[in-house]
Amino acid sequence: MKKLLQVSNVTKQFGGLRAIGGYNGLSFDVDPGSFTGLIGPNGSGKSTIFNLLSGFLKPNSGSIVFDGNDITTAPPEAISERGLARTFQTPRTFSSLTVIDNVIVGADNPGERLRFSWTGKWRNQEAELKHEAVEIFGRVGLSHRVNDRVGDLSGGELRMLEVARQMIRKPKLILLDEPTAGVDPKLQQNLADLLIAIHRKGTTIIVVEHNLHFLLDLVDNLLVINRGELLAKGSPEEIRSNPEVVSAYLGGQDAAQSYKN
Amino acid sequence: MNWLQVILTVVTIGSIFSVVTLALNLQYARGGMINFGVVAYFAAGAYIYAIFTHPAPEGLDQYIIGLDWPWWAGFIAAGIASLLFAVLTGWPTLRLRGEYLAVTTFAFAEVLYSFLLNERRIGNGAVGLSNIERPIRDWGTIDEKYIFAIVAVALMFLTAWIFRKLLNSPYGRALDAIRDDEGAAQAIGKSAKRMRLQVFLLSAIPIGFAGALYAMYMTLVSPRLFTAEVSFIVWIALVLGGERTIWGAMAGTFGLILLEEVITSLPFESVSAAQNAAAMNHVVTGLLFIAVLRWQPFEWISKKLEKK
Ligand SMILES: Nc1ncnc2c1ncn2[C@@H]1O[C@H](COP(=O)(O)OP(=O)(O)O)[C@@H](O)[C@H]1O
Ligand SMILES: [Mg+2]
Repeated sequence: MKKLLQVSNVTKQFGGLRAIGGYNGLSFDVDPGSFTGLIGPNGSGKSTIFNLLSGFLKPNSGSIVFDGNDITTAPPEAISERGLARTFQTPRTFSSLTVIDNVIVGADNPGERLRFSWTGKWRNQEAELKHEAVEIFGRVGLSHRVNDRVGDLSGGELRMLEVARQMIRKPKLILLDEPTAGVDPKLQQNLADLLIAIHRKGTTIIVVEHNLHFLLDLVDNLLVINRGELLAKGSPEEIRSNPEVVSAYLGGQDAAQSYKN
Repeated sequence: MNWLQVILTVVTIGSIFSVVTLALNLQYARGGMINFGVVAYFAAGAYIYAIFTHPAPEGLDQYIIGLDWPWWAGFIAAGIASLLFAVLTGWPTLRLRGEYLAVTTFAFAEVLYSFLLNERRIGNGAVGLSNIERPIRDWGTIDEKYIFAIVAVALMFLTAWIFRKLLNSPYGRALDAIRDDEGAAQAIGKSAKRMRLQVFLLSAIPIGFAGALYAMYMTLVSPRLFTAEVSFIVWIALVLGGERTIWGAMAGTFGLILLEEVITSLPFESVSAAQNAAAMNHVVTGLLFIAVLRWQPFEWISKKLEKK
């Protein structure tokens, strides 16, 4: 099967220290339609990997191919336009826009559905987008927030807003960086339902998550990262029974116990 | 003192400078770019208009190009010249952020200023070019000074209308997104670099037109009309008017020009009284500036209006 994402021998250094890739570089690939969990201890390089994939950081060596295109040195906006979406570990939203505009702004790029026009033709198209945005808000539990300022939202709501903004772009692949951190259980459940729904419709997902209860019900495979290197990969069952993972990532019996629960 | 004349001057000059303030408003409030050399684009328009419409040099003239073209060709050339100057200065500098861009644009304006001052083959150096082509004449029984005011007001409203149309569209929303968080905007496919350059170029065009109109009105271009002070006046007008709105940009400019005109047209008994008044002008402007920054009345008003 053709891969949606191919990461080959990628390395990244910060100030002379190799954060990603170890000796041989980091390599992994992602099948279209898969749902992958990316796990590893704090500081192991998960967010850095997302930054490399989405163009916010350039690798020192190696290559990244997405959907048949080499995106190793492409700028973030070009990668986004190709259908690779991401959220940030700390939610990043547009503070001067209302909640709904924060989402619609995600879908109005030139060449997409909304363009500037003197006649105001975009207003009709915008009505459609509003409709779509409201529908997404219903799924992520933001329906009562549509016309609020983003400054009034809680941390969890901001996360959902960021997810909603990428959803309206209908990406091929979405990278979610700790989407449940600071999110209350009700919203977490909404998010899980949404992810299951878009995954069924064919969207490929990679999610970084510490909350394994959340993760293991969703994903069909896991990548385990340690010190910027791939420690293991496989189905949740395979990973669960991998002693190396249990000791390196889960750090002992207690954690392994909670992991099994 | 002739109040009608004062009002006409305020309307005309106020409108011409409002165009520049509007452009700055677009660049700064929406594009997040600090342009401290805005006078350069204004000067480029004025000088190009002069060069295109001036007759060929003769006698003591030191300038070497005078195309003697009709006024409208000069007017269009002024917009293009300002645009080209924006390409030249924007292309290498727009990757700079905040204060770096401010310093660079300021430096560009200073370079242009000293070039115009010292390179006499462009516009006679410090002397400047006088008797600039002024196409606006009396219109039937209406005096040309009214026509001039009307043309200036029309240019201002046209600029405001176009900017407003643009900013109220999805394009304006994308600009806001980029200004709020460039990285997050890139993550949804917005090219911050490209959009910033577009805004910079687009806003330069009306500045060039305003420069041409200013040259016609003054019937003179000379370096001393285009000092850094012009950039600062426009910035003060923008801050006074509240940087968020198009109306604020215009109101701030008119207020400032009115103050200036009233003080300079007061009849004074002596030279020293006039000098004191000129000094007072700066003091009042400064105090006004501090007061506006301290109490931010326009922010307050726009918040009130928003709540309704
Ligand atoms: N922009 C950066 N500059 C310098 N060091 C960085 C940068 N980004 C990440 N790092 C370092 O790279 C390592 C991996 O960080 P990160 O990818 O955030 O880990 P994780 O998301 O797995 O917790 C850490 O040691 C971190 O300090
Ligand atoms: Mg992280």
